[in-house]
Amino acid sequence: MTVGSLEFLGLLLLASALFSLVPTLPLRRAFLAACSAGFLWTLIPNLASWVALAIFILSGYAVAQLLRKWPSAVLLWAYLVILLAAFLAIKKYSFLAYIFPVVLSIPVSIVGLSYMLFRQIHVLVDSMQGETEHLTFWGYCNYQLNLFTLTAGPIQRFQDFQQSWTQLTPIPAGSYELSKTWLRILIGVIKIAAIGAGFLFAYTKSYSRLIEIGSGHPTLAVVLPWFIALFYLYPLYIYANFSGYCDIVIGGAALLGISLPENFVKPYLSRNVIDFWTRFHRTLGFWIRDYLFTPLYKAVAERNPATAKSFAFGCYFIAFVLAGVWHGSTSNFAVYGLIHGFGASATKLWETYLVRTRGRPYLKEYLQIRWIKAVAIAATLHFYAFSILFFPGPLDKCLAPIRILVRTLKP
Amino acid sequence: MDNLCELQEVFHEVFDDDTIVLKGATTAAEVGGWDSLTHINLIVAIEKRFKIKFATAEIARLKNDDQNVGTLLGLISLKLAR
Repeated sequence: MTVGSLEFLGLLLLASALFSLVPTLPLRRAFLAACSAGFLWTLIPNLASWVALAIFILSGYAVAQLLRKWPSAVLLWAYLVILLAAFLAIKKYSFLAYIFPVVLSIPVSIVGLSYMLFRQIHVLVDSMQGETEHLTFWGYCNYQLNLFTLTAGPIQRFQDFQQSWTQLTPIPAGSYELSKTWLRILIGVIKIAAIGAGFLFAYTKSYSRLIEIGSGHPTLAVVLPWFIALFYLYPLYIYANFSGYCDIVIGGAALLGISLPENFVKPYLSRNVIDFWTRFHRTLGFWIRDYLFTPLYKAVAERNPATAKSFAFGCYFIAFVLAGVWHGSTSNFAVYGLIHGFGASATKLWETYLVRTRGRPYLKEYLQIRWIKAVAIAATLHFYAFSILFFPGPLDKCLAPIRILVRTLKP
Repeated sequence: MDNLCELQEVFHEVFDDDTIVLKGATTAAEVGGWDSLTHINLIVAIEKRFKIKFATAEIARLKNDDQNVGTLLGLISLKLAR
């Protein structure tokens, strides 16, 4: 079953109607857990995957509890190394074919594992630092396996889940709020099934046509329109599909008493790459900032505050490449992350240059200039569209349109 | 010297701007250059000055829109009292 499918929406309608009749908190929790278990049942393919999932969740909870009682960086790192190795093996990262080819034949597949990994790391770090009160096994399982955040974003923080979990009452109060929530879900369905699907169809057609044309000796005039089409169509598809998905899960979760964070805030109006990641899949952007970039940069700044800023660029690259690799098991995602690391560093370099040459008060003025803002938004949008060329599949597939375009530019 | 005055000194050092005057209601948007990077520099400087340690989740929360110098001071006082 997929989010946005007719059966999912029908069951959500039924579940939300029944949920409002459930009288007590323990029963509402049991009800939500049963819904999540039912959804999970449709996604886990075999016994080996169930066992792997159980070990993943149980070990995470056990280590989090140990870290709460005995905070230890050694324990945290030792577990993280094992966890990441298991993650790479289960996700069957392509480089493993050269080192441990046997791993690729393990019949384990867990949908949403990437998101579970990020939630697990966050809980472990926060537990070690005393930031996870009331961490119970029941609550943790429901946090990790909640049907609304199981397969994709938004990446909810445990503390926010805990706030909803202690009450678990439908969030829309009154019929107007309820209608608005259902309207949001409906808009999400339209975004996925009509708008997103339309963009994807057009993108696929454009891609196929470009590859077909590229097999001959086309001119730039023939290639360019198809390249431009796929250049803009994929970002449009990604936004419609993922923001539609988030509309459905945020609305659906609210009906069952869970408040999920917003994941999209006009991302294609971002004025630079750093701004972009606070607007597009922003819960991922914030996770990267809080659990990758901040610890990395803070460690450098603590040791050498005077030169820390120069190392920030390295931290951007490391954080974004890791985040890129997290998206998928093939090398194209590393390229995607690398491009964003470059974008974030370039943003910071430009800002530093302006502050050094013109002073900080000028930077404030500069950021207010309308035409500069318009140019920055357009540049960021096109930068993202370029980066997302490396998203749809293996590197060769992603590079094919660029190769065809470059070939036509040669005299 | 109270915590607010000490915090103001830290701000002057980190932002290289002696004109900054902190109030409880001062937000990140009101201090020029208070971005993600400077936020971490600020946290490191505060940790050093007050001899305290912030958790990752606390550093993240302090970046939220509803946070201000008052909440930062509150957190510092809480940690100093422990």
